[in-house]
Amino acid sequence: MHKRTFTTASVATIILSTMVLASCASAESGGSEGGGDAGGTLIVYTNSNSDGRGEWVTAQAKEAGLDIEIVGLGGADLANRIVAEKNNPVGDVVFGLNNMFFETLKSEEAVTAYEPAWSAEVDQESGDPEDGVFWPLVEQAIVTVYDTNKTPEADAPTELADLWEDSAYDGRYEVNTALGQATPQLVLAGLLAPYLDEDGDLGVSDEGWEQVEGYFAHGSPAEEGTDLYARMTRGDVDFGVLPSSGITSRDAEYGTKTGVISPADGVPYVTEQIAVIAGTPRQDAAEEFIDWFGSAETQGAFAAEFASYPVNEGARAEALPEVVELIESLPKQDIDYALTRENIGAWVEKTELEYLP
Amino acid sequence: MRNSSWRAMLRSPLVVIVLVVLVWFVATFLVLPNANLLISTFFPEGKISVRALEKLVSSERALKSLWHSFALAATLAVTVNVVGIFIVLVTDYFKIRGSRVLWLGYATTLIYGGIVLAAGYNFIYGKNGFITNAALKVFPDIDPNWFSGYFAVVVVMTLATTTNHMLFLGSSLAKIDYQTIEAARNMGASTWRILWRIVLPALRPMIFAVTVLTFLTGLGALTAPLVLGGTDFQTIAPMILTFSKSSGSRDLAALLAIILGLATIVLLAMMNRVEKSGTYFSVAKVATPLQKQRIRNPLANALVHVAAYVLFVVYALPVLLIVLFSFLESTAISTGTITWDAFTLANYATVFGTPAVLKPFVVSVVYSALASLIVVLGMLFVARVFQKHRNPVTALLEYLLHIPWILPTILIALALVMTFDRPNPLIGGQVLTGTTLLLLVAYVIIKIPFTLRLLKAAFASVPESLEDAARILGAGPLFTLRTVLVPLVLPTAAAITALNFNSLLDDYDTAVFLYHPLYEPLGLAIRASTEGENNLDAMSITFVYTVLLMIIMGFTMWLVYGRGGASSRRRGSRRGTPRAGAGLAGSGAPAAPVPAAAAAVVTVSPVPAPGP
Repeated sequence: MHKRTFTTASVATIILSTMVLASCASAESGGSEGGGDAGGTLIVYTNSNSDGRGEWVTAQAKEAGLDIEIVGLGGADLANRIVAEKNNPVGDVVFGLNNMFFETLKSEEAVTAYEPAWSAEVDQESGDPEDGVFWPLVEQAIVTVYDTNKTPEADAPTELADLWEDSAYDGRYEVNTALGQATPQLVLAGLLAPYLDEDGDLGVSDEGWEQVEGYFAHGSPAEEGTDLYARMTRGDVDFGVLPSSGITSRDAEYGTKTGVISPADGVPYVTEQIAVIAGTPRQDAAEEFIDWFGSAETQGAFAAEFASYPVNEGARAEALPEVVELIESLPKQDIDYALTRENIGAWVEKTELEYLP
Repeated sequence: MRNSSWRAMLRSPLVVIVLVVLVWFVATFLVLPNANLLISTFFPEGKISVRALEKLVSSERALKSLWHSFALAATLAVTVNVVGIFIVLVTDYFKIRGSRVLWLGYATTLIYGGIVLAAGYNFIYGKNGFITNAALKVFPDIDPNWFSGYFAVVVVMTLATTTNHMLFLGSSLAKIDYQTIEAARNMGASTWRILWRIVLPALRPMIFAVTVLTFLTGLGALTAPLVLGGTDFQTIAPMILTFSKSSGSRDLAALLAIILGLATIVLLAMMNRVEKSGTYFSVAKVATPLQKQRIRNPLANALVHVAAYVLFVVYALPVLLIVLFSFLESTAISTGTITWDAFTLANYATVFGTPAVLKPFVVSVVYSALASLIVVLGMLFVARVFQKHRNPVTALLEYLLHIPWILPTILIALALVMTFDRPNPLIGGQVLTGTTLLLLVAYVIIKIPFTLRLLKAAFASVPESLEDAARILGAGPLFTLRTVLVPLVLPTAAAITALNFNSLLDDYDTAVFLYHPLYEPLGLAIRASTEGENNLDAMSITFVYTVLLMIIMGFTMWLVYGRGGASSRRRGSRRGTPRAGAGLAGSGAPAAPVPAAAAAVVTVSPVPAPGP
């Protein structure tokens, strides 16, 4: 009968597929338990695989004789996954996360020290100067942007605090309330950095928390699924926050001419890093990948392709001129990332509970 | 006879095997990992921490969001039932012109949801939506933000969550004994009186089950409030999501989730009590399949027709729009200026131009199919045992199986990774972290509560006389289950399988921590191709994936209902119930086979009857 064959078929499917899965599973676990399996595909964890970067890196690595598989996840998810897996790591190398996430990975002992061949070509201050666990690749500024076609430079504020202190900008700037993500966390860190005070709540003075309150109270919350530039074009908002690498492509797409607010104290910078995941059976391949990926040649090609600003001094000549010009015009805000890393969870929690609109 | 004695329960080897496997599974995969995580969260360094509670109580924003979630859940429990029952009645109970087309329109919620659904409605009625724009041209005084806040969220979520009504209430309705309706009409009862006194009471177990599901959906509402809630109506789910991703705030996430979970469990317990007090099967020995009713009052008839078609348009518009938008340039969508030039195939080219674009589809289809089949097969046994043997042990097990409803998916996934990252004696010394099996285990786990609830409701309407008859004729328990009981709940089981399959297909939250690097599932692939600072076509690409998903999901529903309906019709006619699904039996179309599939197994009809 039809039903009978249906049931038999589904039972057979289940048994067969489970066997397939199980055999994959045992093959894999056999590999990682063995510990000495130096061969096989190198698993590269990254949050910097979008916009075609993942495919580009895979293809270029293949040309260089490296067989890699990119696992791309969002920053917070990726860091959580690496920490959760630390007793039985699945990935071999991680790159693209910012200093804060790498500080977390380091304190959880999920990444391990390795000095790359190109270590002399980068400023170690941007990475982990104490232990050399993770090493810097590219730098980005987190900037507040506007469209100079609509808002003349003269009408833009010079300090970020003007946005919430001057009623002219009330509700005219976008605030990202998804505090689980990296960029909004850096905005928060930048807001609080000038107000660090050991006696204050969570190491921040009352004045600092007033800034956060003002920032979120007078802003327009980001709309899920709608790009900042789409909102600017529609006239919903005039200002918003963006990592600097996103400017070029948006100007081309929306026909905007982006202006950047450059406060006297500077803007938050993030440096994307690379490190070997602790306990990987493919240590040699992992080191080889790091040596290749961070080299002046690869970073230069990457910068030319994806408008990034490389930390490797030998690669900067390849970076796009407008990118270099923008980055070099923006002073770096003084943010203590080790301290920020320790506190950001509590800061996000307090902001989420008390200040978000 | 519903049995509460221990000895009777342990006498059947089948029950013993089911219980042993169940206890092992619950202990290994539900209790152990989550207990580990919760203990380390709430008892750091061995002493209880009330930090989370203090933080929560002192946060006005958290309490307000929590209240919003409860208000939304309570509202939805009413509105979804009203709309859902109306939909089921106009497609399956009343004679409505074009009911098959209507069914297709209402069924659109089966094949899409989440952010795309909310965005779809926003593009129509939102601030820059085209209906709002059109209305503004005629009446410039309207508030362009009219469709936002509590009202908008309730409207969108009501329409989006009638899925369960369509599938499960529809199949329950088809099992009603038509003789009771005919008898009532001969005694002079009006259409409404029959509906109110005979039809709806017969549907009670299923209405309870879907109400619990609706309530739960309301509590967990994430994307609709984010997109449409504005600043006045935000719910608690986004906060739970943020907190569960930060190790320092995980206690808050767990606490908030447990508050929501307990509310669901209380509702569940109440429904269980009410369900126990009634018996929901017919005493009729020869049941007659339902025939569609004509609404006799012409005015009422016209009104119902108008309402049905208005609802149809409201349901169908966002889907049409999404298909249309998948062919549009992203700037045209986001700035709201659609011209002929803006139409393009570039979005599809982007998706299909990605290397190995098919693999994530295959991976997700395999995982989803396996997980949904395993969970339904397993829960068939479990639901049967729970329903037949009611004692403290089965009650406890039943509540433990609802753990996945209480904790956020992210925490469940993290707990699995951290528990099975070393050889575990409970699973024969295997390590599961980093293997392909762990994601399958997680998928099975998170689909257990939904499956169990609905299967239990389905078993509740099966009369014991059938089972007794089988036993008297010498059938063993497994044989009885397979040949007598399972066919009776098969329509429900098939519907659950399809729904589970569809919902797992684009899962992200579970897979993100558990997937094997070489087997990337679809949810991750979609996220990867739509995320990114320079990816300005994210929304268009999401629409393309949604259209592709709609095709797969539509095909699944056709497999289950189209073919299933056809085969049970054949089976039905062999059994001599040729009138099964009267108006539809002749149609080969996949459109409206639900009632047919269900009606074909009508040998009993669930009408409240005095207890045995």
